[in-house]
Amino acid sequence: MNLSKDADFTLDLRGESCPYPVIYTLEALEDMNKGELLQVITDCPGSFRNVPEEAIAHGYTFAQEPVKNGQEYLFYIYA
Amino acid sequence: MKTMLHTLFQRHWNPYAVLLIAGLLSALYFGLTSTVWAVTGEFTRLGGDMLQLLGVDVSDWQYYQMVKLDGDTWNRPDGWIVWGMFIGALMMVLLSNSFKIRLPQQKRRYVQGFVGGIIAGFGARLALGCNLAAFFTGVPQFSFHSWIFIVATGVGTFFGAKLTKMPWWKGRPSLTAGAAKPSQVKIRVIQPYLGAALAMAYMGLLLYFFSSGQTLLGLGALFGLAFGILIERGQICFTAAFRDLFLVGRSLMAKAIIVGMAASSVLTLVIISLYDLTPITQIAALSTCVGGVLFGLGIVMASGCETGMMYRLMEGQVLFLPVFAGNIIGATFLAYAWDHLGIYTALVEGGAKINLLETLGPVGAILSTLAMLALLYALTLYREKNYHRRFELKRGVK
Repeated sequence: MNLSKDADFTLDLRGESCPYPVIYTLEALEDMNKGELLQVITDCPGSFRNVPEEAIAHGYTFAQEPVKNGQEYLFYIYA
Repeated sequence: MKTMLHTLFQRHWNPYAVLLIAGLLSALYFGLTSTVWAVTGEFTRLGGDMLQLLGVDVSDWQYYQMVKLDGDTWNRPDGWIVWGMFIGALMMVLLSNSFKIRLPQQKRRYVQGFVGGIIAGFGARLALGCNLAAFFTGVPQFSFHSWIFIVATGVGTFFGAKLTKMPWWKGRPSLTAGAAKPSQVKIRVIQPYLGAALAMAYMGLLLYFFSSGQTLLGLGALFGLAFGILIERGQICFTAAFRDLFLVGRSLMAKAIIVGMAASSVLTLVIISLYDLTPITQIAALSTCVGGVLFGLGIVMASGCETGMMYRLMEGQVLFLPVFAGNIIGATFLAYAWDHLGIYTALVEGGAKINLLETLGPVGAILSTLAMLALLYALTLYREKNYHRRFELKRGVK
């Protein structure tokens, strides 16, 4: 399954350290319309855990399992 | 075997398990050496070493007499705690193939990290400890100054979190329409081999310390390594424990730290009673309060405390270079200001060393400590619930 082509927006967080990946992700999702798909590219190891956990805790759903891509992770989240 | 390796190196470990082990290990380290797991004292000494290299004579600075600036960092057990932590973290980063030079897109982060690092280094040493000696390993020593420090750090991080949310502070992320391509993954994997080589070399060093009778250095190097491995694999972040509770109602790290401190307190009490040791007590004064607030604010500004920045630097997060430099500058400036600018007279002199074991006895000390930790736990849960209730309401309106 490759959803990356269908993403409506991409948040490129490479290089950013915590807490900014979580803040940026939640803010981006908040500003999007319900049902739109956000792709997140992040390489802060702390964010591999806190971004997906907080997205879910804030009521958003994942379109697919997180993808590990070398030293970074890709998340696909529905707003 | 393959699944075990996968769990050990490819996944981050459960913070509860990590902090429980760290808490027990730090109690054990105290039992073996009568010193605690701490880092900023050594940062201050590193600053002193550098000043002496530059020809500044710091031998008559009161603060350096107090923290004992003897020898160089390679001959101090506290020094090996610090280098062991760096090396342990780097070892795990390499073994898990997760090293990558990470440069912040927002250039302002470097300035924020440097300034925050200075404030955090200054505050930590003013309070005589950071999130370790005045917090994670201070509470289990029943030193009352750590209770004041925790509350003060909470206040500081609250204001830090407010600052973090300001648009001029956080900056705008790179949000683009449509999909984007991720980075090309390198096929050739060499990091785990480097990690294994580093591990072998370090084992050799440990063997050398123990076989040549330098037991204290060996223990410092061994426990430092263990702490470094644990904080990296658990992604332990004291900054996040407070900050994320305020920012996004995230409670995982705070709860894990509280559980770790509770376990460490119980074991420390057992060790103190069994071996008749004297707990390490630091002075509780106005300086503890001011230092805690500055420390809390500084660590949020810098995105990491003196402990957290160590493994992040080893992961290749370049932001933490100015943070590390700031920490040392802040700690060293405090050492100067201690007697030269009258900080001791103004903020410290009026205080007293209060140890709960002395004032309340062993039963009273452990019960009050556990009650305090239970209260912190309850407050954490309350804040998390409260945040999510308000968030649901906001979402409902939208």
